[in-house]
Amino acid sequence: MRASIVAGAVALVLAAGAAAVPTAGKSAVCPAAWKAGWVKLAEKIHAPVYCPTWMPNPLDGRIGGQMQDVYSVSPDRSYLLSFVSFEDGGTGFVHVNFRGYPGRTTIPKCGTVTTAGNRAIRRMVPCFADPRGTLRVGDILATAYTVNQGEDEWHVLYAWRHGGSLYTVSEHVHPPYTYKQVLNNLHKLMHSLVLVEPAQ
Amino acid sequence: MKLTRRQLVASAAGAALGAAGIYELADQLSGSPARTAAVPLEPRSVEQHVLDGIPVVEQDGVQVIVPPRHHLVVTATVKPGTDLAKAQPELEQALRELESRYEQTPAGLGLTVAWGLPYFDRYVAAAAEKHVPFDRRAQKPALLPTRTFPSDPHDTRLEENDVALLIRSDRLEHIEDARKTLLDDLGVFEPVSLRRGFVGGNLPRKLAIAAGVPGAYLIPHDSELFLGFTSTQKAGLGPRRIANFETLGLVDLRGGYFRGGTHMHLSHIFEDLEAWYLNFEFQERVDTAFRPGLKVKENAQVVPQGPKQVSSAQEVERDFNSAGRFGHSASIQTSSRLLQDTTGEDGTLYVKGTAIPQRADFNTLDNPFAWSADPKRDGVIAGAAAGVHFVVFNPSSDDFHRNRLAMDGVLPDGTKLQLQPQARGQGFNSVLRTTHRQNFLVPPRAHRSFPLAEL
Repeated sequence: MRASIVAGAVALVLAAGAAAVPTAGKSAVCPAAWKAGWVKLAEKIHAPVYCPTWMPNPLDGRIGGQMQDVYSVSPDRSYLLSFVSFEDGGTGFVHVNFRGYPGRTTIPKCGTVTTAGNRAIRRMVPCFADPRGTLRVGDILATAYTVNQGEDEWHVLYAWRHGGSLYTVSEHVHPPYTYKQVLNNLHKLMHSLVLVEPAQ
Repeated sequence: MKLTRRQLVASAAGAALGAAGIYELADQLSGSPARTAAVPLEPRSVEQHVLDGIPVVEQDGVQVIVPPRHHLVVTATVKPGTDLAKAQPELEQALRELESRYEQTPAGLGLTVAWGLPYFDRYVAAAAEKHVPFDRRAQKPALLPTRTFPSDPHDTRLEENDVALLIRSDRLEHIEDARKTLLDDLGVFEPVSLRRGFVGGNLPRKLAIAAGVPGAYLIPHDSELFLGFTSTQKAGLGPRRIANFETLGLVDLRGGYFRGGTHMHLSHIFEDLEAWYLNFEFQERVDTAFRPGLKVKENAQVVPQGPKQVSSAQEVERDFNSAGRFGHSASIQTSSRLLQDTTGEDGTLYVKGTAIPQRADFNTLDNPFAWSADPKRDGVIAGAAAGVHFVVFNPSSDDFHRNRLAMDGVLPDGTKLQLQPQARGQGFNSVLRTTHRQNFLVPPRAHRSFPLAEL
C-alpha cells in the first residue's frame, strides 16, 4: 500500500478544506497536474472517467502521486482507484475511492463470509446498499449508499449512471471527518467532477 | 417548539458544561408529552416497579406502549454510620411525601427503590438469609452476585452499590424534585453515580445530533431508540405482575416478606451507531435485531413481537446453521417467553409465548454516567456517547442470566451457538459494549425502605 504518512504536526483543515470548491459545469477542467493520469485511465478502459477537481484535505487527485493508493483495472475494464492519507498516531485517516463499471449499470454483487462454528457461510450481497437520498449535479443523478462492501466498507458512497456505465465515489467515515463532514466532502467532490474522455 | 440552528448549536455547546444540560433540550426539541397528571391514586399498587397510566398507541398495526420520557438512575451506598432504625422511617416518609405530590404515572413520578447484595450482606445478613426469596429452578437465592457474560468486554465493571433509585417521569422537574428529596434533603445515601436518559418523542436522532455523537445523522428521524427499532411493543413486554417473585412460581417466597417484589438488573451499554448503520444494511439489521430472513416493510421500525412471533430454540439453531447468524429477539425469546399456558398465583392466565421480563431501559448520552463519585474508576470522560442504561425486571437473577446468556447464543436447552464474542453474526453484540452491571432486589412498596432493617 502506498499510503502516505502525513506529519502529525500538519494540522488537517476540516470539512471546508483549503482549496476553493470548484463549480461543476462546462468551465471546470481536470487540473493540469492530474489530467494525464485520468486520461490514461480513460484510455485503458476505453470509456470516459470522472476526474475530481477538488479532494478532501489533505488528499489530491493525482494518479501516481503521494496520496494515490490502489490502482486496479479488471479484465472487464471496471476500475478501482483510491487515494488515502494517514495522520501519525492513527487518529486521522482520509480515504476516497473512485470506481467505474464500463458497459454495465447494475449494482455489482460482493461476497461476504460469516461462520457458524467451524463452517464458513458465503453469500452474495449488493456491493452498495441502504440508499439514503439522491443528489443532482448537472447531468448526474447520484444515489447515496451508506452500507457498502469491500474497499468501500465504512464509506458513504455516491453511485450514478452515465453512458451505459456505472460510476461511484466514496469516502471513509473516520476521524478527522464525521459522517456529516464526509457527506459535505462528497457533495463538494461530486460538484467538482469533470468528465474525461479517452483521447483515442 | 422548534429551535433555530443557532439555538441548537448554542444549546449543544452549553451541554458540554453539565451532563443534565443535553437532556434539558429534550422538551425543547420535541415538546412536552401531552399527558396530564391526575390526583395521586390511592391505594398505591403493592409493586414499586409497575407504573399506572401508561398509554398504548398503535403504530404500523402494532400496539406500542409510550414509556415516561425522562429517566434518572441514582446508585448509592448507605452513608457510613447511618442508624438504619432511624433512617428507615425517614426514607419512607420522604417517599410518601413524593407520592403525595405525584401519582405513579408517566405524567407524575415513577419511583423504584432497589437494593443490592452488598446492602443485604453488610447490614441485614441474618434476616436476608431467612427472607430473601429462593429460586427453585436455579436452586440459588433469587438475588445473585452480578456476573459477566460471554460477549462482555474483559473490563466490564461489576458494581457493588447498596441501592439504586429508578426515577421516571415525563417531567424533568418531577425527577429533580425526587433526586433532591431523596439525596440532598435526606442525607442517608452517599451517591455513587447519576445516570440520565430518555425514550421516544423522536428524540434519539435530535439529541444525538445536538450532542455531536458519531453516527447521529444515520439514526432514522422518528426512531424510538438509537438503533432504529421500537422496543416497547406491548406484546413484547411482560404483563403487569408477571415479573413479581410470586407470580410464576419460580421463586420460593420463604415467609412472604418480599411478596410483590421483583428482581432488577441494571447495566450500561455503549452503542456504536456508525458500525450499526454503516455496516448493516436494513435487512441485515432486521435479521440481527429480530430473526434472519424476517420480512418487514422497508425501513419499518415497529416489528410485531407477540406470542405468534416467538422463536423456539430449534428455530434459532436452524437459522444459525443456515445463515450463520441468529437474531437478538429470537435468541432471547427462547428463555424469556412462556413455553406453555401458565396460570399465575393471582389466577391470571398467561398464554404460551407471553413475555416475562419487563424492560425499563432508556437511551442515554452519558459517557458512561452523567456523574460519578469516582470518574476514573467508572471511566467517565467528557463528551457525549450513544448508549443505553438497560433496566429490566425479572423474577430472579437466574432468570435474567438465562435471558442474557441466550442473547450470546447459549440457549436454555444447553445448545451453544458457536460464534466468537463480538462476531458480526451476533448482530447487536458486535456493536454493543457493556461497561457496568449489577443485580438488585426490588422489595414491594411496603418494604422498600431499608428492607429487613426492622426485624
